[in-house]
Amino acid sequence: MDSHLILEKIDSCLKDAKKHGLQKKGLTFPIDPALVEDDELRDICSRLASFFDMLNEAFHYSEQLAQGNLQVNASRANIFTMSLKGLHASLTHLTWQVNQVAKGDLNQQVYFLGEFSNSFNDMIDSLREKQILEQKLKIITDVLGEGLFLVDSDGKIIFSNPEALKLLGYTFNEIEGALIHIGIFKQLPDGTIFQPGENPLCNAIQIGNDYNESNGVFTCKSGFMIPVMVSSRPVYKNDTLDGAVITFRDITEQKKNLETLETINRLLEKQALTDALTGIHNRMKFDKILTSEIQRAQRNNSILSLIIFDIDHFKQVNDTYGHSAGDNVLIRLTRLITCNIRVIDFFARWGGEEFVVLSPGTGLDGVIQLAEKLRGKVEGYNFKEPGKITLSFGVTTFHDGDTDTVLINRADNALYRAKESGRNQVQYN
Amino acid sequence: MKDVYNFNWDDLGDLSEGRPNLGGETSVLVYRLMQFTFKDIFSKELGKKKTLELFVKAGNIAGKEFCINILDTSLQFNDFIADLKEKLVALKIGILRIEKSDDEKRQYTMTVSEDLDCSGLPIFDESVCDYDEGFIAGIFEEYTGEKYNVNEVDCWATGDRTCRFEVKQVEN
Ligand SMILES: [Zn+2]
Repeated sequence: MDSHLILEKIDSCLKDAKKHGLQKKGLTFPIDPALVEDDELRDICSRLASFFDMLNEAFHYSEQLAQGNLQVNASRANIFTMSLKGLHASLTHLTWQVNQVAKGDLNQQVYFLGEFSNSFNDMIDSLREKQILEQKLKIITDVLGEGLFLVDSDGKIIFSNPEALKLLGYTFNEIEGALIHIGIFKQLPDGTIFQPGENPLCNAIQIGNDYNESNGVFTCKSGFMIPVMVSSRPVYKNDTLDGAVITFRDITEQKKNLETLETINRLLEKQALTDALTGIHNRMKFDKILTSEIQRAQRNNSILSLIIFDIDHFKQVNDTYGHSAGDNVLIRLTRLITCNIRVIDFFARWGGEEFVVLSPGTGLDGVIQLAEKLRGKVEGYNFKEPGKITLSFGVTTFHDGDTDTVLINRADNALYRAKESGRNQVQYN
Repeated sequence: MKDVYNFNWDDLGDLSEGRPNLGGETSVLVYRLMQFTFKDIFSKELGKKKTLELFVKAGNIAGKEFCINILDTSLQFNDFIADLKEKLVALKIGILRIEKSDDEKRQYTMTVSEDLDCSGLPIFDESVCDYDEGFIAGIFEEYTGEKYNVNEVDCWATGDRTCRFEVKQVEN
């Protein structure tokens, strides 16, 4: 075989390859070197044949790499595959890098792989930022003074913060995967267990609604209930409902405060109806009682009498001995009176040094006697300062059809007469 | 003169004082010139096999000292590897890339590109990074306290563009 023929055969092989590509079988060297008689030509053919083989191998190798097959190999001496081997190594390394990221290793950086390095390192940076944010969120949930649960869309507990566990007395292992509406939020404050389908938190979680309850109860591990303020907000994953975040606060203290507040309010209310100095009922309370007693007398046709009295020359007491002495007189006087009336008699400070006694079931004679008795008691009593005081009384009794004002005016007129007539006496009307 | 020399990191000297103008860096050419001439003379004096053994041993000391003096051994493994990669780049020793890691078996496949010892070399039939093998083993041994076997399976000098090392913890 001469050199011309050899070149022609090679040329037709290459023409064919240019036209159809290398295809599956690759390039086939068209001459069997063994059949070449000339030694020099035979060596050239052998070298060319080995280059053809290297090309075929490189072609196959690159094809596999292009398909993502990283297990493929090329022989060491193949000079056409060298850069591809570099690419191969880079791809293998990147695969490892990505796996590390998937495992949570955000420490690795990619060096000297051109644009890919930048993209990868940018990705690592943004994941690190997210990680930092996650860590911050974790710290927030850890130090949060409220209990926090993360549940799936069935209400199964996926996460809880330390405060939630502390409030309810559980460890996380004990409640992980438990349904929140079975063990924890299952009853009303009065202990009634929610009927199936009627647990409002469970319904909110399943539908994806917000839920707020400022007066709920959570059941602790011990079985005890704690009053809670609870909020639930749905969370979404790719636009699909993925459960809820539930926060709750123990409002035991708040409730206690509320109770204290109620006590204070009751006290204030009482104060509003009580005379601050003497502790007996005030005029406001008297007005209410008078109205209801008149109605009762009218309705039941029962008897009812009224005394109005005041302290004679009280202004002089204040002027001479000072206001605190005057106050002491008022206080002692009310005690003295209280001790000398019946329990059903209603005693109130009308204002200043004026007092009233409403006496149900007492007629005119009876109430005159009562007034006389009180007058006598006070007259005989020794007040430290100013020693002696006297009272003037006006009394009257209920007549059919009397209004509050009519009754009071009548008693007041009688008192006026008592004053006019020299004080320290009882007048009736 | 003492019969034995024990390497000490301080023997590397104070480069900032010693080379105020030329600085701490030199050319790779000079580094290789020394390595290959050592290899030449050692192999003639001691035989090739013994020479390569000595290169691995010297690399091992270098790796251990490098680990102690340059790396932060208090880091967790992943962080340690990240640190190692960074330092190797910073000191222009090579670009370390992990291809496979089995943390349980303590087996790793890693490549070093642009390796100080061999990148750009003509193709021989054998890998040449014996010193690197020892160096990597030394680092792992110092960090873990375990014995490591490092084998260069591919090398620029055997037709790869990168040197590939199989790193395995030696079972006791
Ligand atoms: Zn090498």
